[in-house]
Amino acid sequence: MLGRPQIVILLLLLLAGLLWWRGPGEPQLHSRTALIMGTIVEIKAFSADEVQFDLAADAAFAEMRRVEDLFSSQRPKSEIAQLSAASGPFKVSKETARLLQLGQRIARLSDGAFEMGLGRLIRLWGIETDKPRVPTEQQIREVLERIGPEDLQIDGTIVRKADPELQIDLGGIAKGYAVDRAIDVLGEGGLRSAAINAGGDIKLLGDRNGQPWRIGIQHPRKPGAVLTTLPLADRAVVTSGDYERFFIQDGTRYHHIFDPVSGRPARLCQSVTVVAADATTADALATAAFVLGPIKGLKLLEQQDGVEGLIVTATGEVVQTSGLQRIEP
Amino acid sequence: MRRSDWLQRLTPFDRKLVLLLALVVLVTFLLPFRQEKGQRVVVSSGEKILFVAPLDQDRVVDVPGPLGSTRLQIAGGGVRVLSSPCPKKICIGMGEARNRGDLLACVPNRVVIRIEGGADQKGSYDLLSR
Amino acid sequence: MTCSAVDQQQLDLVRRRVFLALFIALAVALHTFEALLPNPLPWLRIGLANILALTALFLYGVRALWLVSLGRILVGSLVLGNLFSPGFLLSLSGGLLATLLMTFGFRSFAPRIGPVGVSVLGALGHVTGQLLIAWLLIVRHSSIWMMLPFFLLFALISGMVNGIAADMLIESLRKHPALDRLQDMVER
Repeated sequence: MLGRPQIVILLLLLLAGLLWWRGPGEPQLHSRTALIMGTIVEIKAFSADEVQFDLAADAAFAEMRRVEDLFSSQRPKSEIAQLSAASGPFKVSKETARLLQLGQRIARLSDGAFEMGLGRLIRLWGIETDKPRVPTEQQIREVLERIGPEDLQIDGTIVRKADPELQIDLGGIAKGYAVDRAIDVLGEGGLRSAAINAGGDIKLLGDRNGQPWRIGIQHPRKPGAVLTTLPLADRAVVTSGDYERFFIQDGTRYHHIFDPVSGRPARLCQSVTVVAADATTADALATAAFVLGPIKGLKLLEQQDGVEGLIVTATGEVVQTSGLQRIEP
Repeated sequence: MRRSDWLQRLTPFDRKLVLLLALVVLVTFLLPFRQEKGQRVVVSSGEKILFVAPLDQDRVVDVPGPLGSTRLQIAGGGVRVLSSPCPKKICIGMGEARNRGDLLACVPNRVVIRIEGGADQKGSYDLLSR
Repeated sequence: MTCSAVDQQQLDLVRRRVFLALFIALAVALHTFEALLPNPLPWLRIGLANILALTALFLYGVRALWLVSLGRILVGSLVLGNLFSPGFLLSLSGGLLATLLMTFGFRSFAPRIGPVGVSVLGALGHVTGQLLIAWLLIVRHSSIWMMLPFFLLFALISGMVNGIAADMLIESLRKHPALDRLQDMVER
């Protein structure tokens, strides 16, 4: 029979074998969440190394906070707040200039449906505060003067406002940008299969470890339910809906996506979902299409290369672009 | 070590305790757990999800597999296999799946049918865009 | 050479400390070894490390039990690298409930209860504690309790296995001259 030394050697060999077998490790799905930009941001990724994931996730969250500080209209030190306060030409960082240029491009494409100069309107409605209210027509008219795709003149890094009183609000595009930056950071951190969900604004890096990521679209009227599921990889998905931030006064629901023409919440859609290569574009296009409505909005989405979308009309009908792939229903 | 040796290592109290606890464990097996009604049929082959459909819409679906096409019928809130190219037709004999967690499978044709459901069940998607 | 009574007591204390440290180290080694074993259900473990905790309990008493249990959980997590991760919380909650039940069993029923009885109580507690935290913090869905019967059964069997192993270890240690004078050291 085996003597004691032999047993010890056998056990050591077994241990060595196990260590070798378990060595590299299977990539596992890790998840972290943080509260940034007033919403819960979740990062999921496949990684064989949990430390690598933690470091990458931390870096991504830090980058999102940096973007928030740069573009928030609520932080007085942000470049955007300073730009809003400036009356003459204002020099911004290259990053801000690039984002403003992208926003302006979409503003022009959507005939002004996407608008970055609604700072005063948003403050008027108080929709970001605990005391929102319905302003008068007169008040709305005042803050909509000279609003349009050309209300900003961008020359390299110098920005001039057509109206010195113009207040910039990047709510319709900044979260998308933050998500894009976060994914870049995750990629730099060595991750190859990751997903980030910032309160519904989603960007994917790679696929889900060999399978596409399944992205559920929230049903705009049934809180627990899913409208449809999209199989996606390496894409961004952003949904704008009338059910996220709103208040009710005298039986009418007022939500946070304003029509720059009327100065009131856009009423033609319940929700718009846009799939694009990056979340910045998806975010801005979703806002624009929501304002434009199912007919003009869908047309806008169809016209963009590499962009697909789905619109739930005000009456609950679902229309989509021709290239959108769904997992039923 | 003879068979009875290990029993010797339990004191008389131990034996009674183990018997009692074994009874308790048995009881937990019999406790009925809430059978929630299913809402969705998820059909997959291996790791890949082929098809998801709601349980409340009657339809007939053909699912492709290495052996051929397995035909499913969704009707009356449940799903069953109508026909399949497998030799033993065990999947047809499995009958109907209707509650959350129920499973049907045609192993030779690599088709797995699962029922998912419940409002708070995140079964069929990884992330939610809202 | 005369040995005064004080010297002997100190000697015993030191011996106890050394052995408990050894038990913790062995428990961590077993815990790590178990973590490396191929396992379809990573949380379901036989819990071989408990053998050492049981040994500490029956040789040195309840305080020793807590020392070895908590020590194993903390050091084990450091070694495996999952301190403060969800896995650690599961390990801790399971370990706490298990040790509580073992303490209760030992205090209430010794000397009638043996290592196997205590071990089984501990195993059932461990599994229940883990499911509880998993339900409260991770899954948040009552369907997780459907697994309870299987986990309990597994715990019952692994508890018995660990208990028998512990009994064998305790017996052989008691016979060893290095651990004589134990009667004075066992506390309630």
